[in-house]
Amino acid sequence: MRGRSVSPYLFLAFPVAILTVFTVGPTILGLALGFFDWSGSGPARFVGIGNYRSLVSDSRFWPALRNTLVFVLLSVPPSVVAGFLLATIVQARWFVGRTLVRTALFLPTVVSIIAVGVVWRWLLDSAGGLLPRAIVAVGFERSPDFLQGGPIVSWLPWLSWPMVSLIVIQVWRTAGYCMVLYLAALSGVNESLYEAAEVDGATRVGVLRNVTWPEVAPMTAFLMVTGVIGGLQVFDIVWAMTSATETDSTVTLNLYIFREFQQSRLGYSAAIGGVLFALTLVATMLQLRVMRRNAA
Amino acid sequence: MSSRAPHILTRLAAHAVVYAVAASMLLPFMWMVSTAVKTDLQALPREAAGEHVTFLPPGWPWEWRWGNFADAARAVSLWDFYQNSLVAAALTTLVAGVHNALAGFALAKFKFRGERAIFWLVMSTMMLPVQVSFIFAYIAAGRLGMVDNIQALVVPFAVSGFGIYSMKQAIATVPDSLLEAGRLDGMSDLELFWHVVRPIAWPTIAALGIFTFVASWNSFFWPLVVVDSVHSKTLPLAVAELSAGRYVQSWPVRMAAMTILTLPLIVVFVIFQRAFVRGVAMAAVKE
Repeated sequence: MRGRSVSPYLFLAFPVAILTVFTVGPTILGLALGFFDWSGSGPARFVGIGNYRSLVSDSRFWPALRNTLVFVLLSVPPSVVAGFLLATIVQARWFVGRTLVRTALFLPTVVSIIAVGVVWRWLLDSAGGLLPRAIVAVGFERSPDFLQGGPIVSWLPWLSWPMVSLIVIQVWRTAGYCMVLYLAALSGVNESLYEAAEVDGATRVGVLRNVTWPEVAPMTAFLMVTGVIGGLQVFDIVWAMTSATETDSTVTLNLYIFREFQQSRLGYSAAIGGVLFALTLVATMLQLRVMRRNAA
Repeated sequence: MSSRAPHILTRLAAHAVVYAVAASMLLPFMWMVSTAVKTDLQALPREAAGEHVTFLPPGWPWEWRWGNFADAARAVSLWDFYQNSLVAAALTTLVAGVHNALAGFALAKFKFRGERAIFWLVMSTMMLPVQVSFIFAYIAAGRLGMVDNIQALVVPFAVSGFGIYSMKQAIATVPDSLLEAGRLDGMSDLELFWHVVRPIAWPTIAALGIFTFVASWNSFFWPLVVVDSVHSKTLPLAVAELSAGRYVQSWPVRMAAMTILTLPLIVVFVIFQRAFVRGVAMAAVKE
């Protein structure tokens, strides 16, 4: 607009200060801290890639990384697909009770997962949860292996009952959000595409797969990538479900970062943060790439 | 979508599936509320009462025990946590609303030296995970005297990259001619913001406000880091401790507390459902 004015500087001074002091600055320092040994007081000792070298042989780091990736891979695609299928039904003209369904499905997005997690924990907790107790009472002489920390099926040793619980809750919590966003995307699809497909004699499933799904591809990409970024940083659900009984089977990167922070091993905590940062960066790059391709 | 409606049976089946999913979204809440009015004995699986487990959903409380709510309120200083959460969320919403909008205005409608650098600084903050920055953010907050108090929950969130970006996008749609006209009438930039930009960008400001409020109200990680005394704990922190059995042992009393803690937001959400959906979903819908 106008050439010279101090207004933009006045408007931006405080925001830039806040972002610098609480986000950008701490991120840079945090990444640097990954190369130091520091307890939070006294001088920090430079250790080069020592922390990262320790990570490689850390028997708690690998399960945390694996759990985080398992959590992301098994929770994001199901929520996105469920959201898509629900949206295609709910937005149909003949569907009755759209507002009601949307309200119900969006509820988990709004309510603190910490609170709802308590109820979930009570339902699913392997030690004393209602569902595990019911399983034991219905068909087993004694508590089955998977309720005592073992895998659910022997050929997927990393898939424990607590992990499945976390995944179920994450899908429960995010499917409605995906549905609402898909509803918005679907309302932008040109009606004539459907009509053309109908004239061509496409089946209902054919229309869904060859017309609707490609049309909402940008939204799918967005949900996948933001879902992956959010999933990589998962903390609150894990905390709500396992705070007192944390075991290696459910520790995620984020939780491990926080635990090391609590133990005043700040450099080590920051190094794990560096790994998380790298993973987030890859996911973000992917997002930018996908968005650029869609824009082109 | 399709002009021909599917067979009646298909439609019925589709409704059944969607309603079942919707019900499953409500189930944990129903379970919470129904347990909140049970006696301890009813809340336990039947085996504990000397019978076999019958795995029934929420389970009707045969003997209503309203006293659980009073017990919960006595055991936990619910009102304090409420107050902290409410004050933190309201202040954050207000402060962030103003600053995000002004920053968005500056980036959308002014040309100035350093514009690109500032824009990219803002954009970059959107993808920086808090788990990398929290250690030094915590140290910075400590230096500024913002540990274990309400300021610590508000000031770091007084602006957000996402908020500034959304406001910039919204304000970019305000016609330049309106701003020029206002300027010819002798309006200052702040007056232009208030009288020209704000009314047009209001839907985004409101949606962002709801988003900010919900995010602050539910935030967990940062409060866990900066708050440790009871007098500045927020609801999610209290709830997490409650769930671990810190304040009360009885499950029904714990559920009563959860009900007290979550129900108001649920009620507000149901009433303003449309605005909430818009607010929280705005980010992606804009794509």
